[in-house]
Amino acid sequence: MDNDHKFLMTRIAGGDRQALAALYRALERPVYRFITSRLNDPHEANDILHEVFMDVWRSADRFEGRSKVQTWIFGIAYRKSIDVMRKRGRMDLTDETFEIVDDSPDAATCLAAGQEAEHVRHCLETLKDDHKSAITLAFYQDMTYGEIAEVAGVPEGTIKTRIFHAKKLLMRCLSGRVERGVA
Amino acid sequence: MMTRDDLNALLPFHANGTLAGAERAALDAALETDADLRADLAALCAIRDTMQAEETQSPGELGLARLMRDVEAESRTDMAPTAANDNVVPIARLRIWQVAAALVLAVGLGLNMMPDAGRAPDMDAEMSEAPAAAEQGFALASGGAADFTVIFAPDATEAAIRALLLEAGVEITSGPSALGLYGLGLLESGRDDAARSVLAASEIIDDLQ
Repeated sequence: MDNDHKFLMTRIAGGDRQALAALYRALERPVYRFITSRLNDPHEANDILHEVFMDVWRSADRFEGRSKVQTWIFGIAYRKSIDVMRKRGRMDLTDETFEIVDDSPDAATCLAAGQEAEHVRHCLETLKDDHKSAITLAFYQDMTYGEIAEVAGVPEGTIKTRIFHAKKLLMRCLSGRVERGVA
Repeated sequence: MMTRDDLNALLPFHANGTLAGAERAALDAALETDADLRADLAALCAIRDTMQAEETQSPGELGLARLMRDVEAESRTDMAPTAANDNVVPIARLRIWQVAAALVLAVGLGLNMMPDAGRAPDMDAEMSEAPAAAEQGFALASGGAADFTVIFAPDATEAAIRALLLEAGVEITSGPSALGLYGLGLLESGRDDAARSVLAASEIIDDLQ
């Protein structure tokens, strides 16, 4: 798959618009889903998606092929989303996390209790952006922690830490909703 | 030696199937003896499955049409000074030209947003004499001519439009124009009469030419 994407990138760098259309069709949905998960605004996500692929068109000749094309494009989407959140003034740029006691009963029980999607969606929204991004890339896109680190431009250890905290908070939120009987 | 926190941090990557090598082996060994880890892994797998099953309504073909329109416009902007100056363009002059083009574009957009503002009395006549220029919008990268011209219903979703295009065997080749017109071209496998009847029968097509 990535070889196909790299082939398309070479063509795009040479000015081939058909190749750009093919790459867009291959990746617009996952990239859009990632942007939406961060911005929570479909209209704004629409514009950012457009800007991402305009950047792909303008800078395809700078893609060196050392990473996956998908990782490179998600990196562009990640940075553009951060710009939007900074403008909104609600960007939390630290990795500080409150220590929590993992007293969850059994989160799997929660997910067997029905309305899984609503619970997961709600609990994802309670996470800080960098935690949510890491989980989103891991579970929507099935990326390795190395790839997520590349997208976010941070060391792999930082991603492991974010995933560790995100997992704890997610499990706790899900279990809490079951205990409270949230429908 | 991995700590329990290390193992917990790796669990999501076991759940998404990307963990390999020594880390995978160490986590597998721990899972054999640790029921809590196994329960966490089961929960993470369920969360991942739930997230992957979520439907996403992305911009799809409409987003692609917008992308191609802007790529086309940008390419025209990039090429114009080169042709006009025989490939030798002082940077300062290029910037002035780009600023001027941006101003012209901004004024044009402003006029589009307020159709009656600043319009000369004979402008309507000019537009009616040159409908192609006013309505053409842009051409897709394929350069394919449009076999049909349509207006989609205002409440048509991207998913419905995508499904219709697939069913009719056509793709968007141009648009949206200022009037909301889209050009549709037959795919290689498509037939004109079959596509026309599918488009004509669709509830999300307001007008078909």
